[in-house]
Amino acid sequence: MGSNKKKGSKNGIDKSQLDKLTRQQLKELEEKEKTRGQIILDWVIMILPVVCGIVAIGEYLWVPDNSPNKNPNTYLGMLVIFIAAFLIYFIVALVKKLRGDKTVLDMLRYRAPLFSALFLLLAGYDYLTLKTGILTQPFVPCMNYIINIAWTDRAYLIECTLHTLRLLFLGYFIGVALGLVTGITCGYSEKVRYWVNPVIKFLGPIPTSTWIPIVMVVATSLFKGAVFIIALGSWFAVTVASMTGISNVDKDFFEAARTLGASSRQLVFRVAIPHAMPSILQGCTQAMSSACVAIMIAEMMGVKAGLGWYMNWAKSWAAYDKMFAALFVICFIFTIVTKALDLVKRRVLRWQNGVVK
Amino acid sequence: MAEKKVTLKLENVSKSFAKVENDEVTHALNAIDMELKSGEFISLVGPSGCGKSTILRLVAGLITPTTGKITVDGKEILEPSPERGMVFQKPTLFPWLTVEKNIAFSLKMQGKLKGNEEKVERMLKVIGLESFREDYPGQLSGGMAQRVALVRSLINEPDILLLDEPLGALDAFTRMNMQDEILKIWQERGQLAIMVTHDVDEAIYMGTRVIVMDANPGRVVADIKIDEEYPRDRSSAAFVEYRNEILNRLHFGGNK
Repeated sequence: MGSNKKKGSKNGIDKSQLDKLTRQQLKELEEKEKTRGQIILDWVIMILPVVCGIVAIGEYLWVPDNSPNKNPNTYLGMLVIFIAAFLIYFIVALVKKLRGDKTVLDMLRYRAPLFSALFLLLAGYDYLTLKTGILTQPFVPCMNYIINIAWTDRAYLIECTLHTLRLLFLGYFIGVALGLVTGITCGYSEKVRYWVNPVIKFLGPIPTSTWIPIVMVVATSLFKGAVFIIALGSWFAVTVASMTGISNVDKDFFEAARTLGASSRQLVFRVAIPHAMPSILQGCTQAMSSACVAIMIAEMMGVKAGLGWYMNWAKSWAAYDKMFAALFVICFIFTIVTKALDLVKRRVLRWQNGVVK
Repeated sequence: MAEKKVTLKLENVSKSFAKVENDEVTHALNAIDMELKSGEFISLVGPSGCGKSTILRLVAGLITPTTGKITVDGKEILEPSPERGMVFQKPTLFPWLTVEKNIAFSLKMQGKLKGNEEKVERMLKVIGLESFREDYPGQLSGGMAQRVALVRSLINEPDILLLDEPLGALDAFTRMNMQDEILKIWQERGQLAIMVTHDVDEAIYMGTRVIVMDANPGRVVADIKIDEEYPRDRSSAAFVEYRNEILNRLHFGGNK
């Protein structure tokens, strides 16, 4: 108790204020006080990305090139933009801290080592490609090439990206929607499970790519065929996950809901589905990764548009910089899609946060 | 006082369950006859397997009797109804709903929430958890969760309140507090309350009648009226006498 009181007075919080404590204040109150060394280290780490960024710029400017480099300022510009973005983030965090909100700065401190590593990685890659040619040009093009070509070919890249996204979402949402219907009815009704389970057991283990030759023969258009393949993979993942989720609902919840006057329809929509939500969303995430795999295979093997096709096409023209540009766009898109799904998941499953104390 | 006086009748009720592992059948209840009325607080005690929880689940309508009839004012019980509120040993709060929405669940299911929001408010006040309304059940302690579960079924103002060892999983202090809280709620509305418990003291402390049961097959061995004013004194001579009588009926008495 004595130490609590001391800390309380240290932060200027007395008994009456304790009642209205925020989570952040509580964390600060209970935190161990940092030593001088730790505080200095924290600041150094927060500055580190800027230092590493300057190192990357220095490496690019002053180490002599091993192969010709057109439009050298593009990469330089990107580095400068990255550093500037970080500095703006830093300033915002500092202003927030001065206004009493420490969370942004804490987050920055947490992320700073990663940002630093990113700059060093860029510098290292540039050294291995452009500067020394240890990774042979133009097979593994340096960053400056990749950015330049992405910018020159942007119209086509955007077109391909949109095509990929359209295919991805169409297939994914059809698959997820059907998967929810079959998964939930299967989880709930013994009869439906009797008929659907064999289908799942039979089709489930077949890898998506196996379907491509068949679809290319049977489907009226390659686009429709690709939608089918992506939908099939997503359908499978969501069906299995929601079926398990629904059939694992604790019987006690149904009993409680029934004594509270829930109809059998409400038992499904108000009890079973919310209870199975974590499992269902897990299935949706899995479906997305299976859809991402399926779409790349489909585009590389048959569909005549999209990023996968672009990569393959660039390879056949020996345009390796284009290939890498497309790869980065793919990375970027899939990261954003996964992140978006994650946000949805966290929002819907807010109630789970308090469960694990 | 409850708006409606009801009489619950069990006539020659038996319930048997098929065993999972073999073809045999367990007789959980054998030819039970009971008549229970509004204003009574019935404590059901007995060893495990004597069918006391089965009686509650039958009255709730969660299961149907193998033979016999259960009626409320002459009407046979066929399915669960909010008029017979049940509180389970586990709070079974819906973890995806906040405290407030858990309490409102029943009204919402029946489409009666609109215009009845003040009922939810009153229930939150009864258990003193107004400041926890936005919390999820995962953040509550066992006692708080059980309080929420209690008012979640009370919001329907049930004529019959079924309590299936609601305090069984709580620590001794919370338990004693909640015994008084439940009694207070029951005294205000005077509904028929039926509580299953393992704790003989709790049965005597709370019940107007203690029904003692025994297993193999499940049957009633004694029906003891507790003639004591509330609040009862756990150390009074009368209390101790009741305790001895019930323990004797359960074959735990000193003079076998």
